[in-house]
Amino acid sequence: MSAVSSLVPARFLTIIAHLVIVITIFWSRDSNVKACLPLEYTQEQYEEEDKKLVVGLSVTLGLFAIELAGFFSGVSMFNCSQGLLSIGVHASASVALLFYLFEQWECSVYWWILAICSVLPACVEITLFIAVFGFKKKAS
Amino acid sequence: MAFYEVYSHPALIRYRSSVCTKATLFAVVALCLTYIPPLLVAYRSQFWLKTSTYEEQPVVRFQYEAILIATTSAQGEYVAWSTFPHFNHLVGARLRIPALSQVREEDDNQDGKLDRLLLEMQLPLRVEEQLYSLQLLLTFSYQLFRMSTVAMQSLACVHYSSAVPGAQLFISGDLRLQQRAPLPHRGLYNIYNVSVIDSSSPFASAYEFDDIIRKYQQRNTTLLSTAMPVWKPGRAPTAPFMLRAEIHYSTETIYRPGFWETIKFAWIQYVSVLLVFLWVFQRIQTFVFEKQLLTTVPGEPAHHHKLH
Repeated sequence: MSAVSSLVPARFLTIIAHLVIVITIFWSRDSNVKACLPLEYTQEQYEEEDKKLVVGLSVTLGLFAIELAGFFSGVSMFNCSQGLLSIGVHASASVALLFYLFEQWECSVYWWILAICSVLPACVEITLFIAVFGFKKKAS
Repeated sequence: MAFYEVYSHPALIRYRSSVCTKATLFAVVALCLTYIPPLLVAYRSQFWLKTSTYEEQPVVRFQYEAILIATTSAQGEYVAWSTFPHFNHLVGARLRIPALSQVREEDDNQDGKLDRLLLEMQLPLRVEEQLYSLQLLLTFSYQLFRMSTVAMQSLACVHYSSAVPGAQLFISGDLRLQQRAPLPHRGLYNIYNVSVIDSSSPFASAYEFDDIIRKYQQRNTTLLSTAMPVWKPGRAPTAPFMLRAEIHYSTETIYRPGFWETIKFAWIQYVSVLLVFLWVFQRIQTFVFEKQLLTTVPGEPAHHHKLH
């Protein structure tokens, strides 16, 4: 279907944009970590918040791997609703993470962005994996 | 032979779906994403108008009350004068009555509101006395009418001291409204309509300068005189000390805007961002439903005015 084939590049671009911003945050997470801490902080507190943010970012990268695996293998490439969901969610994540990076929002916001914009599409991806490989449903 | 477009009108296609479908979910999400983000965008910088300014020439009248204290020696001897009989009585031997050669308020542009106070007084001094400092308090009544009706009694303080004894002091200044809090936008605001100096009190404490100034500065709305003094030394021994003051009445006030004005500005901000979001989501939704990415039941293209 021609409409779906125009969804595919849009989905790819939004996923890559989200990925790029996550990697950028990985490299310049210093100011975001400092925004989580009170004005006077010790080095241990800094290390702890830093570790939490690193864990969050790594989980995001893992979920990206799942979704890209499903996308490139063709399992969910031509599925309309997963395509729409993925585009919407990754586009909002890109905008939100852009604000997160530039406006130095605090750490708790990142967990929300992670939950809505990375966990959700990865879960749907896994469901589609099970549906295609487990129940032999056609990936339309 | 159809060569140019005479008229066109849109044909409406309605897409229907039942309640628990992906299409309905998508429509609800798109609705939320259209109407809520403009609020967030507009909220980031000054959504509700908390203060605003307007210009009005106030009605200022000099109340013809004054207290003058002048130091006549480097050791701190002083002479004083005022328009309050109790104060003059308390001052006793240090009373020195100046000659007021000019006290007048002028209306330059003939609009019925006075623009300036011109004050000229000569303070007679003995031959051995030298004037080192001068403090003068003048009272005014201040009224505004355009937004809320403001009526207050206020003070202008003229103060100058010098290590060099002087012959003449010329002050030119502005009487500006000094606010700690914005004024209301309507109603009567007359809590400061009590006179600054209590003229009926026979006690010296009522005329202490620091008490008067302290109580005056505790008010939320006061007048401030920004004065540029010119001190001329070299007094001839028998000449009196000349004091000339020109005080201009100036404009500009800060107030808190009312409910409807705040709503008006908030609406402008919201709608201008909403239009962008409406256009974007209209394009997205047209693409999704026209290409049937989510299954819906499209209706027949209907004309706006059905004729039958």
